[in-house]
Amino acid sequence: MVMKLHRRNFLGLAGAGAVATALAACGGPSTSGGGATAGATDIDFSGVKPAGSFDFWTSHPGKSQDVEKAIIDKFQAKFPDIKVNLVTAGANYEEIAQKFQTSQAAKSDLPGLVVLSDVWWFRYYTNGNIIPLDGLIKQLDFKMDDFQKSLVDDYKYGDKQWALPYGRSTPLFYYNKDHFKAAGLPDRAPKTWQEFGEWAPKLKAASGASYAYMYPALAGYAGWTLQNNLWGWGGSWSNGWDLNCDSAESVAALQWAQDTVYKDKWAGVSSKNAADDFAAGIASATISSTGDLLGVLQSAKFNVGVGFLPGGPKKDTEVCPTGGAGLGIPSGVSKEVQLAAATFLKFMTEPDSTAAFSAATGYMPVRKSADMTAVLAKTPQIKTAMDQLAVTHVQDNARVFLPGADQEMAKAAAKILTQQGDVKATMTDLKTTLDGIYTKDVKPKLKA
Amino acid sequence: MTKQLTDRRAATAVTVTPGRRRGRWSARTRRDFIVFLALALPNLALIAVFTYLPLINNIYYSTLDWTLGSASATVVGFDNYINFFTSADAPNVLGTTATFTIVTVGGSMVLGLLVALALNSKVRGTTFARSAVFAPYVLSGVGVGLVWLFIFDPGYGVLSWLLRGLGQQSPQWINDPQLSLVMVIIVYIWKNLGYCAVVYLSGLQSLPKDVMEAASLDGANGFRRFVSMSVPLLSPTTFFLLITTMLSSLQAFDLIRIMTPLGNGTSTLIYEAYLQAFGAYNRAGYSASISVVLFAILLVITVLQVRFVERKVHYS
Repeated sequence: MVMKLHRRNFLGLAGAGAVATALAACGGPSTSGGGATAGATDIDFSGVKPAGSFDFWTSHPGKSQDVEKAIIDKFQAKFPDIKVNLVTAGANYEEIAQKFQTSQAAKSDLPGLVVLSDVWWFRYYTNGNIIPLDGLIKQLDFKMDDFQKSLVDDYKYGDKQWALPYGRSTPLFYYNKDHFKAAGLPDRAPKTWQEFGEWAPKLKAASGASYAYMYPALAGYAGWTLQNNLWGWGGSWSNGWDLNCDSAESVAALQWAQDTVYKDKWAGVSSKNAADDFAAGIASATISSTGDLLGVLQSAKFNVGVGFLPGGPKKDTEVCPTGGAGLGIPSGVSKEVQLAAATFLKFMTEPDSTAAFSAATGYMPVRKSADMTAVLAKTPQIKTAMDQLAVTHVQDNARVFLPGADQEMAKAAAKILTQQGDVKATMTDLKTTLDGIYTKDVKPKLKA
Repeated sequence: MTKQLTDRRAATAVTVTPGRRRGRWSARTRRDFIVFLALALPNLALIAVFTYLPLINNIYYSTLDWTLGSASATVVGFDNYINFFTSADAPNVLGTTATFTIVTVGGSMVLGLLVALALNSKVRGTTFARSAVFAPYVLSGVGVGLVWLFIFDPGYGVLSWLLRGLGQQSPQWINDPQLSLVMVIIVYIWKNLGYCAVVYLSGLQSLPKDVMEAASLDGANGFRRFVSMSVPLLSPTTFFLLITTMLSSLQAFDLIRIMTPLGNGTSTLIYEAYLQAFGAYNRAGYSASISVVLFAILLVITVLQVRFVERKVHYS
């Protein structure tokens, strides 16, 4: 009996041990207060020779594996002494972030260059996981004047450049031209959501689609696209560090969105991917990333139209956030690896490379001088995304700088849009949660 | 009870007299012991390094305010535990864990027993049926989750197509947190049902036939034989399944991760621990404290099962 008890306790211990193993297998932190902090100074790379090889961790945003390989091949031809190992480090931004954070904790197997999304780079900065690129930009002459300023500025903090733009996108308004024609609507995106609200019943009646509009999947990046609604109504997730997601304007914006689902019944909420739902003909319109453009054009069996994001009753321009991924260099690798990675980073963001990347994915070129003639001849819809860049708006701090905020915003959106939760109460709860994250996880590190 | 304890102590005192101990450590015994160590030590070392050391480390991390990826942390004592139990999420997480565990364990065992009864009958095709029922258990949870997502998808899933044919709208299986939990429970039971069925089938086939026949001769009908004979005689099997399926359910991860990546409505303790450390929040210390809570729950449940439930078990 006693032996049985021990064996079963052992089983329980082993089980719980497995739970803890993943976390505990990571290297432990220092509790002596000497760890890396945000705001590292410039690194001197004079006299440093680039390493012979380094790993490039990517999630292949926009199904870019082939074009990434092609760009690497060109780089190898130009720099035969630097070998770039292309590593699939995740299927999306979250998975690559998980692998990167785990390697940081384990203090091993770090890449030379890593894809980092708009909501992840700032915590890498606060944790001291990435280096400022200013010294390398100067040493390697990156020609920063030729970069799209708004895309570069997204990675600036404390007067330093922490990453450079790579697979950068904005949301686009996708619409089914055939459905619009059948409903007698003009062949363009609506100027405001109010205008679309007038179109939607006709669209739903004439098209035969389940929904006139499909809200993006909440498990995706609801916090990103819903900024469009919030800004159009004069609200936001936050204004600077002032968390105002429970303001009357923000509540009105999301109340309108809830009404489109439950009261007017012309909108639905995607379960997995709104672009796929749209391409399958389930909805007549949706909002999705420019990175989905080529995929939608390939899979849709109807004429696809794209346009700027609609405005709202308070604001009808600059209601589109930028988004997507950049490239950063980890602090935990040698200077030689950092220099080799920076050499490749420069090549990767040169006009020819960014034009090729854009042609293959639909993401925006990050250089002004990128020759997009051939790309636009083949896929003219990309021009809409490029033009919209001029009227984009910097994302709210709450979404991009607070760890886990995007997830909390998605939960709040789910409560409002899929459970008909009280909008004001949900947003008040969200504000409390975001305030807790800011106070505990961000504010102390900003002071450091 | 006290007398029994005294007797045991007395017996132990007799067996460990110095003379007896010297006698035990004969050359042969020493040789056996060395062989035992040679065989057991590598495994014990692996278990120590990969199970107990991480467990101890994890308990230590649970006392830290540590952001995953950060090289530094602050010792905060029991703050992570206090924060978890006082958080608005704690009742949801504990409630979801309890619901998921009770329903999946109960569902797998009850349905598994019913399937085992069906498979135990002497009709054609039972061999194929046994393989078919057991197959989902050995399939990858990731693959199973992806396939079932296609079935449940409200937009273009098979279930949605069937419901549309009946003029009904598909429920929001993925977006509605309550339905998400139901969805994951259905798939989890489907996947693990075969395991319970096969173990119960083995138990049913080893029931003493003479006893069952005697009950029949005494006039007990099939239902009465099942309730009064089979169920009590299957109690060792039930006890074994109760422990293994409960431990398995409390640690269910793959299906939840694939079907509901945000954990919206399906955040059990183990998934919450994952989300807090490796999801969007990177709260490694806080996550470690949730893992320790899960460990404590597993330990308590196992001890309670052994102490109290096993008393009801008829081993023969």
